[in-house]
Amino acid sequence: MKRTSEESQSRLPDNSALKQQQLPAYRLQLTATGVLSGFFATGVFCLGVGIILILSAKSIKEIEIKYTKICGNCAKLREDATNFDKECTCSIPFYLSETMQGNVYMYYKLYGFYQNLYRYILSRSNSQLLGTDLKDVGSCAPFSKSHDGTPIAPCGAIANSIFNDTIILSYNLNSSIPIEVPMLRSGITWWTDKYVKFQNPRSKNLSTAFAGTTKPPSWVKPVYELDKEDPENNGFLNDDFIVWMRAAAFPTFKKLYRRLNRIQYFTEGLPAGLAYTVTGAVTWLASFSMMAIHLMLKDRKMFFIQQ
Amino acid sequence: MTVPKEMPEKWARAGAPPSWSRKKPSWGTEEERRARANDREYNEKFQYASNCIKTSKYNILTFLPVNLFEQFQEVANTYFLFLLILQLIPQVSSLSWFTTIVPLVLVLAVTAVKDATDDYFRHKSDNQVNNRQSQVLIRGSLQQEPWMNVCVGDIIKLENNQFVAADLLLLSSSEPHGLCYIETAELDGETNMKVRQAIPVTSELGDISRLAKFDGEVVCEPPNNKLDRFSGTLYWKESKFPLSNQNMLLRGCVLRNTEWCFGLVVFAGPDTKLMQNSGRTKFKRTSIDRLMNTLVLWIFGFLVCMGVILAIGNAIWEHEVGTRFQAYLPWDEAVDSAFFSGFLSFWSYIIILNTVVPISLYVSVEVIRLGHSYFINWDKKMFCAKKRTPAEARTTTLSEELGQVEYVFSDKTGTLTQNIMVFSKCSVSGRSYGDVFDVLGHKAELGERPEPVDFSFNPLADKKFVFWDPSLLEAVKTGDPHAHEFFRLLSLCHTVMSEEKNEGELYYKAQSPDEGALVTAARNFGFVFRSRTPKTITVHEMGTAVTYQLLAILDFNNIRKRMSVIVRNPEGRIRLYCKGADTILLDRLHPSPQELLSTTTDHLNEYAGEGLRTLVLAYKDLDEEYYGGWAQRRLQASLAQDSREDRLASVYEEVESDMVLLGATAIEDKLQQGVPETIALLTLANIKIWVLTGDKQETAVNIGYSCKMLTDDMTEVFIVTGHTVLEVREELRKAREKMLDSPHAVGNGFTCPEKRSSAKLPSALEAVAGEYALVISGHSLAHALEADMELEFLETACACRAVICCRVTPLQKAQVVELVKKHKKAVTLAIGDGANDVSMIKTAHIGVGISGQEGIQAVLASDYSFSQFKFLQRLLLVHGRWSYLRMCKFLCYFFYKNFAFTMVHFWFGFFCGFSAQTVYDQYFITLYNIVYTSLPVLAMGVFDQDVPEQRSMEYPKLYEPGQLNLLFNKREFFICIAQGIYTSVLTFFIPYGVFAEATRDDGSQLADYQSFAVTVATSLVIVVSVQIGLDTGYWTAINHFFIWGSLAVYFAILFAMHSNGLFDMFPNQFRFVGNAQNTLAQPTVWLTITLTTAVCVMPVVAFRFLKLSLKPGLSDTVRYSQLVRKKQKAQHRCLRRVGRTSSRRSGYAFSHQEGFGELIMSGKNMRLSSLALAGFATRSSSSWLESLRRRKSDSAGSPSAGPDKPLKG
Repeated sequence: MKRTSEESQSRLPDNSALKQQQLPAYRLQLTATGVLSGFFATGVFCLGVGIILILSAKSIKEIEIKYTKICGNCAKLREDATNFDKECTCSIPFYLSETMQGNVYMYYKLYGFYQNLYRYILSRSNSQLLGTDLKDVGSCAPFSKSHDGTPIAPCGAIANSIFNDTIILSYNLNSSIPIEVPMLRSGITWWTDKYVKFQNPRSKNLSTAFAGTTKPPSWVKPVYELDKEDPENNGFLNDDFIVWMRAAAFPTFKKLYRRLNRIQYFTEGLPAGLAYTVTGAVTWLASFSMMAIHLMLKDRKMFFIQQ
Repeated sequence: MTVPKEMPEKWARAGAPPSWSRKKPSWGTEEERRARANDREYNEKFQYASNCIKTSKYNILTFLPVNLFEQFQEVANTYFLFLLILQLIPQVSSLSWFTTIVPLVLVLAVTAVKDATDDYFRHKSDNQVNNRQSQVLIRGSLQQEPWMNVCVGDIIKLENNQFVAADLLLLSSSEPHGLCYIETAELDGETNMKVRQAIPVTSELGDISRLAKFDGEVVCEPPNNKLDRFSGTLYWKESKFPLSNQNMLLRGCVLRNTEWCFGLVVFAGPDTKLMQNSGRTKFKRTSIDRLMNTLVLWIFGFLVCMGVILAIGNAIWEHEVGTRFQAYLPWDEAVDSAFFSGFLSFWSYIIILNTVVPISLYVSVEVIRLGHSYFINWDKKMFCAKKRTPAEARTTTLSEELGQVEYVFSDKTGTLTQNIMVFSKCSVSGRSYGDVFDVLGHKAELGERPEPVDFSFNPLADKKFVFWDPSLLEAVKTGDPHAHEFFRLLSLCHTVMSEEKNEGELYYKAQSPDEGALVTAARNFGFVFRSRTPKTITVHEMGTAVTYQLLAILDFNNIRKRMSVIVRNPEGRIRLYCKGADTILLDRLHPSPQELLSTTTDHLNEYAGEGLRTLVLAYKDLDEEYYGGWAQRRLQASLAQDSREDRLASVYEEVESDMVLLGATAIEDKLQQGVPETIALLTLANIKIWVLTGDKQETAVNIGYSCKMLTDDMTEVFIVTGHTVLEVREELRKAREKMLDSPHAVGNGFTCPEKRSSAKLPSALEAVAGEYALVISGHSLAHALEADMELEFLETACACRAVICCRVTPLQKAQVVELVKKHKKAVTLAIGDGANDVSMIKTAHIGVGISGQEGIQAVLASDYSFSQFKFLQRLLLVHGRWSYLRMCKFLCYFFYKNFAFTMVHFWFGFFCGFSAQTVYDQYFITLYNIVYTSLPVLAMGVFDQDVPEQRSMEYPKLYEPGQLNLLFNKREFFICIAQGIYTSVLTFFIPYGVFAEATRDDGSQLADYQSFAVTVATSLVIVVSVQIGLDTGYWTAINHFFIWGSLAVYFAILFAMHSNGLFDMFPNQFRFVGNAQNTLAQPTVWLTITLTTAVCVMPVVAFRFLKLSLKPGLSDTVRYSQLVRKKQKAQHRCLRRVGRTSSRRSGYAFSHQEGFGELIMSGKNMRLSSLALAGFATRSSSSWLESLRRRKSDSAGSPSAGPDKPLKG
């Protein structure tokens, strides 16, 4: 390649900082002051956050009632999937030792329910849930169409496996007459879910809007009859439905069922607080030991340099 | 030359060549070549290669298919193609097809663009060479044709200083007897001129009309790569003439001192010996490349292991848990058992986890190397202002290997030296001249020097000659008889030819630059050698012309190491002038002036100590009677049939005795600028430098001293010159014994030499403490490189501080490099300037060519080129070191970030029923490697610096980590992987722990899959960004821009992907609608991200800080301390100091061939005009040439270089 000997003019490379690798730059160095102060600061921060979290977590009271065994007969009934439409009720009394102040939330919690399976998560049709194209059930296998070929609405495995237990909280003051605690079923979903992601098909009457579709095989009622009390809470816009459709990340999960009040409150869990505290403590410990080592070595380093 | 008597049977039918015509079959089976002059039609039958050279690979049409085909031969690319196909299977696909195809297309495109640019430049250079003009004789007239149109059988005309266009048979030339001088530097690196001669019958074809009628046919051997051999026959006018290499002009040679010549093209283009020799360029891979390939294989194995674990997990899960979940999600139709489900999930996981084998790795590495190459091209400090050549990285794939070089093999002539001889000092009758200022003669000190000596009194002086000591000229001017005799000798005793184009414009044709320098010195000091005939020499002595009768030239040869002339001055006195090596000449002096002898010897020692090439000058008066008798004896000896050489030698010996010492000269073989400093610095950087030169031992050793490779402080310099296997073995054994027995040696249980096994030897020899050097000559090297001795040789050589191989052939150069490469597992670098260095440049891991010379062969074969040897220190210590550092940091980080990214899926597998569910959004998976994390690490790989460049020159020891391969090796790789896995564990389990319990601040669930995905992805991006921030040692604006920019782009894309607009358009593609704003608005999520980052980064910082405190590397120390710098600088200066105590070294350093004396005396090389002046007896026409060649071959010592054998069947 003869270009070495040709183009003899202007072959002197540019004297730019970039080309001469002389760009002004900050040279990162792990200096003792920088590292140690960083560690102390991180330690302080973590400890602080951790303590705040622990304190705030302490004010949260949690009661977990497992009813799988207590309502054993119902569980047994449900083991046979064909009995999905048979009603079964049971009641569990529990006692609150102190009053719960502030917000009260009621969750249902499932153990070992794999909402995060690859095929399960994909088995839904966003365009159907958006109400634009009820017949779009392409991604809903294996629950896309009924045996006779009618598209299912809402289609897919997630919708089909909806948690449909009804939980009623009653208050037994002293007698045997239970007073039902009024729980709010609204405000348990994300705003974007309720107003962007889920929309009912446009029609005056919900039942006509869903004409030409059929209910999921495991459902007792069609989607437009989910809430008989509140006509707005039907179709794809049913809050329980939306909550269920937001698939959980882990096989053990809890989902918000009802709420009692609406005052903002800090609800971080206890483990995070503990983790922060531990991290902060460890960081402090580390920074102290590092400082010790550093100070010890400082003399040695100076000696080495002077050699 | 005469036709051999016995003709081969094949060509027995006298006269015309055998008439069978044979189509040239496919390539490689050509048995003989026939070319008829001026008959293109006839020659076309054979379909010989045209003179067009093609090094390019593609044209516009073939580019895409051929390039893609080549790219898919890369294992990595095929692997991703395979992945792509896997993803198209719906049962297996766990990721959308675009997660693989986008990076793959990007990678292919980048590589294709690079290949296309490379090929474009190849096209350009091909065109340029192919379009060089040459004069071709077509239909009786000379026509300008580009080189590519020259065909076999054409007659072309060459003019002085032109490159030979193809391999030619020399037909005739402007010089008498069809002689022609060529320089073969391009071919074999020898810069002295060589003589070629046309065969007598064609040498008369001087004019075009006769040449146009020439219809001889050449039948010769097929194309081959033997530069020193050619055999063929010319059939013309019913007779046959044997052809040898002596009649050939090879492509790549340059015509010198010959006005014009005509040649018949025998081999063209790819068939020429030059191109046949250039060989196929081997694709060079760096050790990091090889390591990377191994690691990728390991990672692949690791990937399969993870796949198997997860597949087994899936099978078990489906069996134990999944069966109960089937009511909610029945198996796919294709799946009929848990086992099969596991099998499918294996492939799904291979797809998901494929990002541990990072597709962008290879392309990123190439981009970084390209950046480093550009830095080399752009480096102003490697730009040679004189030659206007910048450094050039011709290969862009080797840059980090420059930081690992352990052995440098250097050519001498043109690389270490400028091949310019400068008359620098002399000693005239006990007084030394020229020793004015500093020894090294640095240009830098020009300002301190006085004006050079003014030679304006002498109209014939050479303007370029520079001498610094005015006292010598004064001595000449005042008429000091010694000084006069001194320069008279220099102007008479030589074999230089002069040419005077115009009055006063003298040109000397010297066979060696040494002689040229001496004669030019005499010329400037007023003793101008003006002209010569076979019998006379005319010298202008201080302005008056004096003609000496030349009675005899007692020619130079390797054994005599001296040359003499016997002249009769106009007064009729006969005097013998002799110059020669001090060791030889000092013994032949008249012993009387002992004092003069001792002072001259002192001067010689002084000169030798400075690395100058010395000669001793002496004369002797002969009386007429004695000379008459001697001339008679000489004639008898020269006519003797047997042992003519010996007899002549003894006759010469007889007369060259009892001579009177005149003085001594010292010629500086001018080193390239800064060579000793560079060598000293590289030696400090633990780089071993071997000099491999075709030059003679004395010259090579001298250069060794002058560039401080050899010093007088050395314990011993071993010289191996044995001619037989046994001798060489013995010499090597002795050298080793000496090294081990010397008191310096550290005896590690080494008392019993018999016990040494060859396996233990190296380690023992490594410990040798004394400084030794090895000088080995070509013929010994030939034995030393044989299979049974090569290890012995290598051990010995590697224990020496310096190794000089002299008189080596290009092939041997390559063999030596190969030997070290094979057995030492070290990175080798070869640097040279000539075509004789091409083989070694190609063999070494890194080849460096010295550019800016006339020849470009070495540059073409090289990976890096620049015009000064001294730039090597910058190339290695600055660019190489940085490249290596950057590449290592890049690789560490790259593997780290991919493991941190990918392993999260593995952990998640245990929580999602091993269903090949990804943790992240698929867009994140697509973009993570190519958008979110690519540019910061690229910026680090291109721009990072640990210490400023001045420091790496000041502390050559900083180069050592590269040689020891410390920054990226298997251990470092596992550390990166471990760190990556650690990060993946934390980025998964911390959010897991938080999400399992926590709820959003409005009480609703936090632990939904999409929020989890966003949290993990965000914390991962932040963690790896902080990590790259820690790894980046040199934060330029670009690094800032890329790091902050990547983070910004991440959030921008995240919010865009999760926006309502995109969801409304493609509800099924963008499922994460609203996720970013809902999740990232949660303080819990941010606390999680902060916690993850802190926990991931803090231990790394702590570890690095402790390492810095407990075990700082040199670069760390350098950064910290200025005190150390001062100390080392002092050390440095110490090492550079020149040892003034010197040994005596003979420096008869004529690098020319012997035999020119005879040539001159025969008058063969003189124009007819000058010949007419002399009535001398003509001798047999070819004997001088014969003897010239014979001697040359003897001195070269290799039988293969012998004279052409007579033709045999």
